[in-house]
Formats: sequence, C-alpha cells, structure tokens
Amino acid sequence: MSMARFSPFELVLLKSRSQVDTATLLLLAWVLVHRQHVSEGQRRRRLAQVTAQFRHGHELGPVMGIAHSQDLQAIQLAAEILRKECSKERSLSVLHQSITVATDDGELSLANHYILRFLADLLNVTPTTLSTLFYELTGRPMGAPEDPSRHTYWQQHNPDYFRQKARDAAAEQQAREDAERQAQEKAEQREQKKQRKHQEKQRQQEQAHARKEQTRQERERQRQRDDQQRREQAQREQARHERAQSERRQSSHTPPPDRTTRALAVLGLPPGASRGDVRLAYRRMAQLHHPDRFFSESEHQVALASARFQRIKNAYDYLMQTY
Amino acid sequence: MRDLYQRLSLSSEASELDIQSAVERCQNSALRQDADTVLAVNEHRETYDTLHQTLSDIGCLRARLGLTHGAHWQGDVANDFSLPPDHAISRHDELVDRVSNAVSLYNRWRRWRGPWLLVAMFATGAGIGSVIGFALCLGLATG
Repeated sequence: MSMARFSPFELVLLKSRSQVDTATLLLLAWVLVHRQHVSEGQRRRRLAQVTAQFRHGHELGPVMGIAHSQDLQAIQLAAEILRKECSKERSLSVLHQSITVATDDGELSLANHYILRFLADLLNVTPTTLSTLFYELTGRPMGAPEDPSRHTYWQQHNPDYFRQKARDAAAEQQAREDAERQAQEKAEQREQKKQRKHQEKQRQQEQAHARKEQTRQERERQRQRDDQQRREQAQREQARHERAQSERRQSSHTPPPDRTTRALAVLGLPPGASRGDVRLAYRRMAQLHHPDRFFSESEHQVALASARFQRIKNAYDYLMQTY
Repeated sequence: MRDLYQRLSLSSEASELDIQSAVERCQNSALRQDADTVLAVNEHRETYDTLHQTLSDIGCLRARLGLTHGAHWQGDVANDFSLPPDHAISRHDELVDRVSNAVSLYNRWRRWRGPWLLVAMFATGAGIGSVIGFALCLGLATG
C-alpha cells in the first residue's frame, strides 16, 4: 500500500470530465513552455484558444503550473493516458495541435523539435507523416534539429564571441611581435658596436703584418722543401685521425646503457634479466594493459591503456633489437 | 545533439575547473574543440544545459514508456540520452490502484463501523487519561 498523496495533476485528472482532454492539455502546455520569445499571458491565451473544443471542464491555471514545474511523473501519466485512449484520428489531431502551438509563425525551438518527435513516437505517427503534416501547417520542411554541442553551431549563432576571441589573439600576437622586434633592434646595435671594434683591431693587425711580411718571404723559400715532407706526413696522420674520429662518432650514436635498464624497468624487470624473462614479462604486461580490456569503460580509460601499452611495446621492441 | 558531459565522463553539475581538466585530458581533438566552445563559455553552457535537461527528461520518459527504439529517436541523441529501463511502474496503473484503495477505505468508513470505532477510541482515550490523572494526584498527596 503506497502512502503517497495524490499529486496535483492526479487530482486535476480525477476531477476532469475527460481524462484524454486533460492529458492532451498538459502535453500541449509542455510544448508551449518550451517555446521561446513568448510571454506567460500569451501562452495561456494560446492554450485556451487551442483547447476551446475540449470537454475537460476545469481551470487551465493548475495545468500550466504543472507544465512549468517540469513534473516528469505528471507528463508520464499524461503520455500513458494519451497512448491508451487515443484513436488514430485523434492522435493526428493532437499532433496537429501541438505543431501549431509549437510554431505558429515562429521558429520551432530545439527542445520542441525533440518533444514533437517524442509525441509522434508516442502516437505511432511515422516520420513521413509527421514531416508532411509539419510542411502543410507551417510551409517549411521540418529538417533535423541543430546541434548546440558542436563548435560550428556556436560559430553561426554567436559570431560576436569568436570575433572577440580572434581580436584578443591578434592583440596578443601583436604584442609578442613588438617585443621580438625590440629585442632584435637591441641585438643589432650591439652587433654594430662589436663590428666597429673588430675593424679597428684588424687595421692594427694589418700594419704589423706588413712589417713582418718581408722577413717572412725570405724564410719561406727555405722552409717550402721541409714543409712538403712534413705535409705528406701530416696527411697520413690526418687520415688516421679521421678514421678514429668516425669510429668515436659511431660509438656516441649508440645510446647510454642506461636506456636498457629503463626499458627493463618498464617491463618490471631488474637489470641483467635474460631474453626469455623479457619475453615472458612482455606477454604478461601486454595482457594486463591491452586497450581492448578497457573497452567497456570510458574512452579516457581506453586512451590511457593504449598509451601504457605503447610504452610497453616500445620497451620490448628496443630490448629485442639490442639485447 | 550529443551528451558532452557523458563523453567527457563528467557530471552535469561539474565545476569549471573539472571541465577544464577534463577538456585538457581529452584525446579526441574535435571533441576537445567542441567541449571548449560549449562548456567553457558560460553563456553557451547555459543554453546547452537547458536543452540537455529537456533531452534527459525525454530520454527518461522514453525509457519508461518503452519508446527507446522509436522511429524518431535515432543517431547521437538516442545514443547519448537513452537510459536503461528502470523499474518504475506505469503511472496510470499506480493512479488506478491508489484511487481504488481510497474508495475501499471510504466505503469501509461509511459502513457504520467507522463512527462506532471513533466513539470507542475516544472512550478508551478518556479512560487512560483519567487513570493517569488519578495516579498523579495520589502521588502528590502521599509525597
């Protein structure tokens, strides 16, 4: 035995002379509540106008109040009654009324898009029937509702926001460029000073050089013979040196042994583990962290798992190549 | 219309900080952009939340009325806002139950037993009251 009291809508329904009419009334009021740019008085007048033929015999005020409070249980009750007691013709006329109430020469609001479709499903009206009915009544195709969960919707409906954002970004960019230009100018000034100093030094050096030049030329000739011999020897030496250097370069390309221990740590192994251990550990870890295991959980979990799995796989691949 | 909160695994009352961190964590760049535009701007979020509330209501109604696979309930909306059927019973049946319950109570009351029961209860109540009063008087007199 339920101890709950009768809800306001149930009381209205019990007093009503026609339950179907009361239920329809509530659903129409629900549609009206979700219509935008309409005042409360207009809503009530419209509801009274549409339901002039109804035989419910009670006030509209409480029904409107219930619709405003978005009482799901009341709406569910109304929907059940409507589904139970509506003939085919009656259901079309209910849909007709709700479309006129939802639009009359205004835009169909997004919420009403979904409410009308809900009513159509409730009354067993096919999509083609609904769209023809809508077209006949409003002279416009019904179309798919727009999607405010997308970036493009807001680009269309709130371009001011995006303009402001672009302006802010441009101002920031400008400020950054200005700062860069100033820094560059300072650097150039410094550079010029340096160059001037450098030039003076060079001039002094050249003078000293000219003096030395004469004495050197004489010595030069004597030295040339010795030099040739020495050069040959140097070439031989250089070739040897280059060979050594290239070898050293190659050895610097091979990463530090520390990477191996890190890769082993990723697989949960101590340094010095054998190849077989690595393979076993990899299999165990791959089973544990495979993204498919997290398929039933959130997208975020799957993404995290695939990142982990990738890391494990990289470590394994590296160890298999070098170990 | 998609349920961005569900897709970011947030509750619809999530604070701005939560939303921000969830957006940063999100791996899908398209979803990240959408969430950044819709949820991070208060004005957009209000509009979105209103519609979100309505759609959740409709999803709940559809689940209770067995309309989760209707011809007009498909695509993103159906994917994100369909609820599993709960065990709420039909409101109409419940109403009928309650009315019949009330009617039977009323009838029982009307069948003479009611007034006599009332009289009997009043008499027992008065009796108990007088006994307690007498006991108190005795206690005061002796003490």
